[in-house]
Amino acid sequence: MKTKIAALFAVALAVAGCHDTMNSVENAQREGQRNMVSDSRVVSDTSLNRKVGVVGVNTAMTPGGFLKVQVELLNRTGSLQNFNYHFEWFDQNGMQVGGSSTAVIADEIAGKEDKYISAIAPTEVAKDFRLKLILGQ
Amino acid sequence: MKNKIIIPLIAASAVFITGCATDAHYVATGGTQNIVNVGQINIQDYIQAANTMTGELLASGALDRVKNPPAILAISRIVNNTGKQIDTDLLVKKIRVALLQSGKAVTTTTFGLGGQAEDPLASGMQQKSDFLNDKNTTGKADFSLSGKIIQLNARAGNTTQATYSFQLSLTDTAGLAVWEGEKEITKQGTQGSIGF
Repeated sequence: MKTKIAALFAVALAVAGCHDTMNSVENAQREGQRNMVSDSRVVSDTSLNRKVGVVGVNTAMTPGGFLKVQVELLNRTGSLQNFNYHFEWFDQNGMQVGGSSTAVIADEIAGKEDKYISAIAPTEVAKDFRLKLILGQ
Repeated sequence: MKNKIIIPLIAASAVFITGCATDAHYVATGGTQNIVNVGQINIQDYIQAANTMTGELLASGALDRVKNPPAILAISRIVNNTGKQIDTDLLVKKIRVALLQSGKAVTTTTFGLGGQAEDPLASGMQQKSDFLNDKNTTGKADFSLSGKIIQLNARAGNTTQATYSFQLSLTDTAGLAVWEGEKEITKQGTQGSIGF
């Protein structure tokens, strides 16, 4: 009896979990070429990293001469995950710029979803960036 | 008799102790520990909206299309269509600061909506300077920044939701909106049956 209840519970969980996953389709022959950058990662929250991981980072320059960063995230779980993030920017001397007023942005990612988050540097002198990811509630 | 003295003393001590023990503490503005209200715009919402729209405005290159950079910006009307009284400078000032720091735009403080100068002293200084140099720079601006903040409420059972739409338009001297930005922030929460 106990085994049956446990099995039913597991099935119910699996079915419920499926509703949070994401199906997607895209063109196979990509026209655009992404300028991928090598990244350095510091993982202190392994739980978050197991759930939502960084797949890749690419950058571009806007017409106004500002650095634009796009980070590809993947939800490795089968359920919706909430996370918070914010970007920090640094000039060529490694000094932080535009940090006087920043907000942590709340976002969500569906199960198995591949998602992009992006940001534009606040000033032309920003040459480097750092993305901080925090597990949401 | 003894009790009559001791009990008020204990009560006074309790009040004194609880009065001192507060849990007031600092939190990072815009951080994850900030209070989130569904029914009002929180500081992190203003910061997020301002940062997003400033980034989009700078990336568009609209401010670069002026003859004599940096572009001069005049602040027009920011309409508050939310259910709460808000100071729109919580949004606009952040954008002004970010644009100034970017080096792409400066804001005039001597020319405003309805002929009202934000800084009357600066307006007087400008008029004096114009008189001495035989110039007329009053009202000189490349762009006007106007906008609207809209609140849209929804409710299902015990769950309340509010979407705040921050809309901005940058209009040139020909009257054309050369850039427009919109940032929507949606918040959800459960609440009692009274009020929103």
